[in-house]
Amino acid sequence: MSAIHANPITERERAANRSQPQPGETPARLAGLRDRVRNALGFFPFLAPVHVLLLSIIVIPAFYVGWLSLNTSSFGQAPVYVGLANYVKVLTDPAFREALINTGIIVVVAVHLELALALGMALLFAGGLPGRRFLLVAVLAPYAISEVTAVAMWRFLFDPDIGPVTMALRALHLPVLEWSYVPSHGLIIIALLTIWLHLPFTFVILFAARLAIPGELYEAAKVDGATTLQSFRRVTLPLLGPAMLIALLFRYIFAFRLFSEVWLMTQGGPARSTEVVAVYLYQEAFRFNAFGTAAATAWIMVLISLLLAAGYVLILRRQGGAHAH
Amino acid sequence: MTKTQKFTMTRRQMLGTTLAGAGMLAGRPAFAAAKTLNILSHKVHQTVLNGPATGDLTENWRKANDADLAWVTFDSNPLQDRLFREASLPKTDFGVGYIIDNRPTADIAKLFTPLDAYQAKAPIEDYSDIAPGLVQAMTVGGKLIGIPVRHATQGLFYNEALLEEKGIKAPATTLEELVDQAKQLTFTAKSGTPVVGLVLASDLAVFPVMFARAYGGDFITSDFKLLPDPEAMEKGLTVLKALFDAGALPRSYATTRNDDQVTWLQQGRAAYTVLPFARNAQLNNKDQSGFPGKIKAVEFPISAGLKGKTPMASVVESWGMVIPNNAGDKDLAWSFLREVASKRVTLGMAINGNGPVRVSTYADKAFAAANPVAAVEAAVLKNARGAFPPFPEAARAQTIFLEEVQLAVLGRKPVKAAVADIATRVRPLLPS
Repeated sequence: MSAIHANPITERERAANRSQPQPGETPARLAGLRDRVRNALGFFPFLAPVHVLLLSIIVIPAFYVGWLSLNTSSFGQAPVYVGLANYVKVLTDPAFREALINTGIIVVVAVHLELALALGMALLFAGGLPGRRFLLVAVLAPYAISEVTAVAMWRFLFDPDIGPVTMALRALHLPVLEWSYVPSHGLIIIALLTIWLHLPFTFVILFAARLAIPGELYEAAKVDGATTLQSFRRVTLPLLGPAMLIALLFRYIFAFRLFSEVWLMTQGGPARSTEVVAVYLYQEAFRFNAFGTAAATAWIMVLISLLLAAGYVLILRRQGGAHAH
Repeated sequence: MTKTQKFTMTRRQMLGTTLAGAGMLAGRPAFAAAKTLNILSHKVHQTVLNGPATGDLTENWRKANDADLAWVTFDSNPLQDRLFREASLPKTDFGVGYIIDNRPTADIAKLFTPLDAYQAKAPIEDYSDIAPGLVQAMTVGGKLIGIPVRHATQGLFYNEALLEEKGIKAPATTLEELVDQAKQLTFTAKSGTPVVGLVLASDLAVFPVMFARAYGGDFITSDFKLLPDPEAMEKGLTVLKALFDAGALPRSYATTRNDDQVTWLQQGRAAYTVLPFARNAQLNNKDQSGFPGKIKAVEFPISAGLKGKTPMASVVESWGMVIPNNAGDKDLAWSFLREVASKRVTLGMAINGNGPVRVSTYADKAFAAANPVAAVEAAVLKNARGAFPPFPEAARAQTIFLEEVQLAVLGRKPVKAAVADIATRVRPLLPS
C-alpha cells in the first residue's frame, strides 16, 4: 500500500509518459517519424491520380451543385443567392411530393419482389436444375441488354393497342395493363421492367453466396432431423443474410435514382402521375433550366440515399460485430 | 521437301524505308480544308442541305471559303440545352447554332451575337423576301439575333385510301366534320388493321392549342394574355375528350409521341393526324409508308360557327440560325448564314423537305411541281402563328398546360376545372 502511495502514477499518466520521448531515445524516434513521413510522401505520387480523379469528378462537382442549390440561376442569368429557398420550393412542390411517393412505391415493391425472386431462383439453381448452364445464360441475359433497347422492346410488347402481350391477354380474356391510361398500371409496368432488368444483379450476388455455404451444414441439419423448411430458416437464411443486405443496399440506391425506365416508357405520364424523383430533377434541369431547384433536388436525393444506406450499413455492422463474437 | 523463303531486312534498309515513307506522307497534298465551321443543329437541318435532287447545297460555300462543316446534331430539347450551355461558356468551338422561335427570351438572347451590324455590312440576298413574322420571332428587344431558316407549319394529314374505304369523299372542312369523320373512321379496315380516326401526340402544346383556336381561343397570345377565351379552350378540350371516349383517339393517347403519329399514318392505323406540312415526303415515302401517294394534307379546319368569318390560325414553329457571342470566327459564321439564307439554298432545302422561309420559294414552279402541299402550306402560313410566345418560364407553363389537358381528355378532371386550373397555375409564371 505504501509503495502505491509513494508512487501514485495513474494509468493515464503512464500512457502520457510512454508517448513522450525519453532522454536518449529522441533521435531514434524522430528518425522513425522522418522515415514514415518520407515513405508517405513517396507513396503520395502513386495515390495522387486517384485523389485528383475523385476530387475532380465527385467532390468538386458535389460542392458546386451544393453552391448552385443555394442560388437561382438559368441560362443567361447571373446566379443570385437565395439561401435555402430552393429546398423549400422543391419540398413544397406537389409534383415533387408525388414523384417522391411514386419513387418510394417503386423502390419498395420492386426491390423486395426482386430480392424474393432472386432468392428463389438462387436456391433453385443451387439445388440442381437440368440445363443449368443454358438457364443461367437466360437469367443473366437482361443484364446484357442496354436499358434503352429493353424499354423500346417492352413498349412494343405492351403497346396498349397492338402489343403482342396485350393482344394475347385480350385473347385469353385476361385483364391487360393499361399503362398509358391508368396511373397505377403505369407504376406496375415500370416496376416489372426494373425488376426484369436488374434481377440478374441480385441473383448473381445471392447465387454466389448460396454456393459458398458448405454442404456439411446441410448434412448436419439433416442428421439432426431438420426438414427442408427448417434447413432454409436455420441454415440458408442466416448465412445468406449479409449477401441479401448488400444486394438490398445496392438495389435501394440504384432504384432510388431510377430514370431511364420511366423516362423512356411513360415520360412520367399520364399527366405526370408516374413521375419519379430523377425525372423531376431532369425536368427542372434540362427542360425548365432551373438549375437552383434542380441542384436542390439532387442534394435531397443524395441525403435520402445516404439515410437509406445508413440504416442498412448499421445493420451490417451489427451483424459483423455479432459474427466477431 | 518444302522450300521456305526467308525475308530479311537490314537495319539500314529498315531505316531508309521508314524515312522514305515519312517523307512521302509529309509531302502529300493537303486534303483538309484550312478552316472548320462547327454547327449545332437538329439532324434535319443537316439533311435538307444535301438531297438527291439538289446535291450538296453547301459545296459552293465550302470551296469559296476553303472551309469544312462539322455538324453535331441532337433532338430539339437537348439541342437547345447544349446550345445555351455552349453559349454560356467563356469560349465555344461552335460558330453556328439552330434555335427554336419560342426560346429566345431576353436573357437567352444576350448569349448570341446581334446580327444587325453584319446585315448592314454584308446583307443577305433579298432580305425582305423572308417572311416578316419569322424575322420578328428572331428579333428580341429590337435586336436581330437569328436568321430564319425553317418553319414547320401544322396541317391536317389524312389517308385518302381509308376515307375512300369508308365512303368519305372529301376531307373535313369544319372541326365538327372532322370529329364526325374521325368517329366513322374508327373501324377495322379490310386489311384487318384496326384504325383510329385521329392520332395526336400528347406531349406537345400544338394540338390542344389548334383545337382551341378552331373555336377562336388560344393558350397564351403574343402579348401574354392567358386563355383569352376560356370557353373556346373548354370547347376544344371537350372535343378531344369526346374523341378519346369514342375510341377515335388511341387508348395510348397519353404516351403517344410525334414520331408515333408518322408511324401510325404510314401503317394505316390512323386516318387523320396533325403534322407539319414538311412531313409530306416522309409520310408518302414508298420505302417507309404503306400508302405512298395516298396521304394528303389540307388546312386544319376551323369550327362551323367561325368558318368564313375568321381565318384559322394554325400553329407554326420556326427555327433560326444564331452565332454565339463567344464564338471564334464570327465572319465565317455570318458568311454561312448568308449562304443558307440565299434564294438558291432556300429553294434547294425546300425541295429536300424544308419549310421555306422565303415567300418567293412558294412561287417557284419547280418547287410547286415537286411538292404537292406547297400551295396549301403557303396559304396556311399566311395566318399561322406560334403556339405561345417565348418567356423564361414557357417550358414549365407548357408542362402544366399539357398535364391539365391530359387530365381533362382522359376524364380524370372535368374540362371546366382543368381550364380553370390552367389559368390559376400558369398565371404566376407569366412575365409581369
